[in-house]
Amino acid sequence: MEVTYDKYSLMIDGKRVFIKSGAFHYFRTPGEKMARDRFQKMKSGGYNTVDLYFNWNYHSKKQGEYDFSGIKDVRKVLQAAKDTGLFVIARPGPFINAEVNAGGLPFWLLNDKDVIPRNRVGTEYRYSPKYMEYIKEWYDQIIPIIKEFDNVILFQIENEYATDTMEEDYMRQLYKMARERGITCPIFHNDAYFAGLWADCVDIYALDLYPFINPNQNWKQDNFCFDTLDNVEDIFRSSKQDSPPFIAEMQSGWFDKWDGMGYKYLRDTLGDEHINIMTKTALSQGVTLFNHYMAVGGTNWDDLACDEVYTSYEFCAPIDEFGVMQSNYFKAKEINYFFDSFDLTCTEPKEFDFFQENIYLKLRHDNINDCDWLFIRNMNPNDTEINLPFEKSVTLKPYDMKICPLNLKLYGCEIEFSDAEIFARLKNETTETIFFIAGKNANLHIKDRCTISGNRKDFDNYTFEQNGKTTRIVFLTKETSDKTWFLKDKLIFNADYVLPNSAVALEKNTEIAYYDIKYGFSKKNYLVNEFNKDYKKPKRMKISNVQFSSPEIDVDYDYSDWTSLDTTGCTLNDEFVWYKSKIPDYLTEITLSARHLFAVYINGKEVLNRNSYKIEKLQEVPETISIPLDKKNLNKPFNELTILVQNLGFDKGFSGDANSPRGLVLFETTPSIPVEFRVKEKLSIERGDKRESDNPYLTRITVDFDLDLKENVFCAHYISFEDFRCRRATIFLNGVKIGRYIKRTHVQDKFYLINEFLKPHNTLEIVVWEKDRNVKSSWGFKFDMKNVKILLGTFKKYQLFK
Amino acid sequence: MVVVPEFLIKRIYQKGSLKKLDEGASVVLKNVLGPGFISGFNYVKINDTVYESKDVKFITNGQEISGTEVSEANPIAFRLGQSGTLVMSGKSSVVDGANKIFIEAMNPEAGKVCLSVEDIV
Repeated sequence: MEVTYDKYSLMIDGKRVFIKSGAFHYFRTPGEKMARDRFQKMKSGGYNTVDLYFNWNYHSKKQGEYDFSGIKDVRKVLQAAKDTGLFVIARPGPFINAEVNAGGLPFWLLNDKDVIPRNRVGTEYRYSPKYMEYIKEWYDQIIPIIKEFDNVILFQIENEYATDTMEEDYMRQLYKMARERGITCPIFHNDAYFAGLWADCVDIYALDLYPFINPNQNWKQDNFCFDTLDNVEDIFRSSKQDSPPFIAEMQSGWFDKWDGMGYKYLRDTLGDEHINIMTKTALSQGVTLFNHYMAVGGTNWDDLACDEVYTSYEFCAPIDEFGVMQSNYFKAKEINYFFDSFDLTCTEPKEFDFFQENIYLKLRHDNINDCDWLFIRNMNPNDTEINLPFEKSVTLKPYDMKICPLNLKLYGCEIEFSDAEIFARLKNETTETIFFIAGKNANLHIKDRCTISGNRKDFDNYTFEQNGKTTRIVFLTKETSDKTWFLKDKLIFNADYVLPNSAVALEKNTEIAYYDIKYGFSKKNYLVNEFNKDYKKPKRMKISNVQFSSPEIDVDYDYSDWTSLDTTGCTLNDEFVWYKSKIPDYLTEITLSARHLFAVYINGKEVLNRNSYKIEKLQEVPETISIPLDKKNLNKPFNELTILVQNLGFDKGFSGDANSPRGLVLFETTPSIPVEFRVKEKLSIERGDKRESDNPYLTRITVDFDLDLKENVFCAHYISFEDFRCRRATIFLNGVKIGRYIKRTHVQDKFYLINEFLKPHNTLEIVVWEKDRNVKSSWGFKFDMKNVKILLGTFKKYQLFK
Repeated sequence: MVVVPEFLIKRIYQKGSLKKLDEGASVVLKNVLGPGFISGFNYVKINDTVYESKDVKFITNGQEISGTEVSEANPIAFRLGQSGTLVMSGKSSVVDGANKIFIEAMNPEAGKVCLSVEDIV
């Protein structure tokens, strides 16, 4: 596959292609089967490309060791994309951000003091030869795999990179490394500052655009957030003349944080309007390559998350974390289908004199279809009539945007102007059928013939003929268009979704209609008779066992085989790290700082339990705490000290402090004495130690449950807690860590049971880490835990008919 | 948090805009980076003279806003292409010739934003 480009678009094997891409994180949606499911849904929604970050840290736990097996087999992910008919944008970093732990840099790299990650400290450039050597190691592993797939059309180096002095060595070397290893497609970088950065170091200049990144902002009211997007063509043209406008990350959602507002709030805030405005405005600016970031939400299972984000990385993406299509998916589908219907890969801006308050208007001439396209956006909070200079008017709903054809020549007629939007077109040599979305105030003006009101019912249609050719115009309501699927040569109506192989997914008994040019409409009934009607109602799960599970805290626990640690800095990077030592009875105080959540136990009793994760003015605030000690705590000549630290993840690296320490970062005593710790990673359950402990601080609740998993049924299951008073919990599904619960945040109450890890018979283990003051008595606490309400729910269930 | 490199922040400062006022100074800022908000003016330093938030006002779009009125809860919009004059009062600071200017402001997305330039009067 030969990939070339000019100032308009990418060309694949000489043919112009409009790149409609969406980002997918294979590490957050693990396994080939889930990747295939999500790719098929992307393809059905009109995307033709998937953007893949490759996460170095996910594959390399030790220097020189790489794991591309099982669910980490990226060949299977790439093959799934290829089989689905998607092109791939490959983004192997080395740094990827993506709100993953350490921005995707491996932990072992951060522990190497000779390495300056990303060749910068803060924004100051500092070249690190050793860092560059390690990048070669990563590229030597990942590029040969990427190279096996000829559907890879673009390759990115680094990620949103900048330094104060903008030395080019690093970027130029990354470019060279990629080429030396056989990358032949165009190479780009994504400039987060839309300032033309690195344009001379790459083939195609690309930028990232996120107009809404502050959840406190009302983007509808502060609509100037689109200022950059509204002028982006100028930025592209002034940055690089000969490459096509490419938005490497175009906002289609946003991530939520610990202490955030929750994904429901973000989804409601963005609505469908945001993705509609983003995508159509980009097109109005001549963009012919876009990448919706994200197209598919994911889950921060295991230790994937950076410290900012919680388990769900739902991202308000068109396809959510559970694989369910959301309303912005249907908006994206509508726009993508339009791009499939008319080739807009070669357009020019056209001067247009117009001003109306809060109305954005742009006109482009289409060199391929020899017509114009008018892009109109209403940012007023009410329906607004817009009087156009060519004696037509359009009424737009608040925050709506439309693409309207002008002088569009069709087979049987010419559209002089239409503000009823085009949904899809099917055609052969002599006949075409164009589906329009009905709209109360819209009109379709047919040149020299008539004006058709867009206030139509489903399937109202009109036929026009000229010179032996026919154009049939058919209206669909918005509701019907959402359930209409465009597959190469036919449309399928009334299905919840349709996969590229024509498999129809249905939630209930449905009459499906088909349309193709040759045979017209046909119908078929599908019976969905397997689903219990109340499957959506969550069911309380039966707890099979409750067991205290922190033997490490018990007095006389044997930790002699743990690793000795002579400094407090943490070279172990697991989420949970245990520290044990002995301290004498004459100490009056200990002072410590730990990231992020921690508890201190002396002789098996808790003396402090703290959540130190605190963000102020967007920066993590370190906290140092002193604990006074007395004879009550230190009742032996030498007392057993146990500290458990839960590290929520490393900074994703934007601010360059990715290698700042985690775990216990400071420990001092009064009077000052040296304290030698022994350390161990992971909770006992993760290490296979299932002994019951004497102390109740960590308690494991076990639930066994069965699921009827069928090949022809798509299901998305979750667990939730009801009246759950515990402060923290870590959730394991069949031994895999799938969630972190922290009550303080209240942002996530449902945890996805990731399909890849589900089996017919499952074991769910929830490790509760509780404060001493909430543990009335061991017996009473265990009783409470046995009565915790854990619910098993099903978001969606579709039967697939092939 | 988005860390904006210094060379980009410097672009906001309009070279040659430093003016000596009676007991004060003024400079012009123009947003050439992207649409956003200012959520605080922490302080301005010209040569060795520090102007606290209360001594600073920002005049933009015909409105005059005191530095103390600008906060996370009450940010001011600063559109792409928008200009504003930052006026510091209460003390003289500008000298003939080269002057060192340091402005520390806050942005809801980027946190602390520091601008350090030299300008000649």
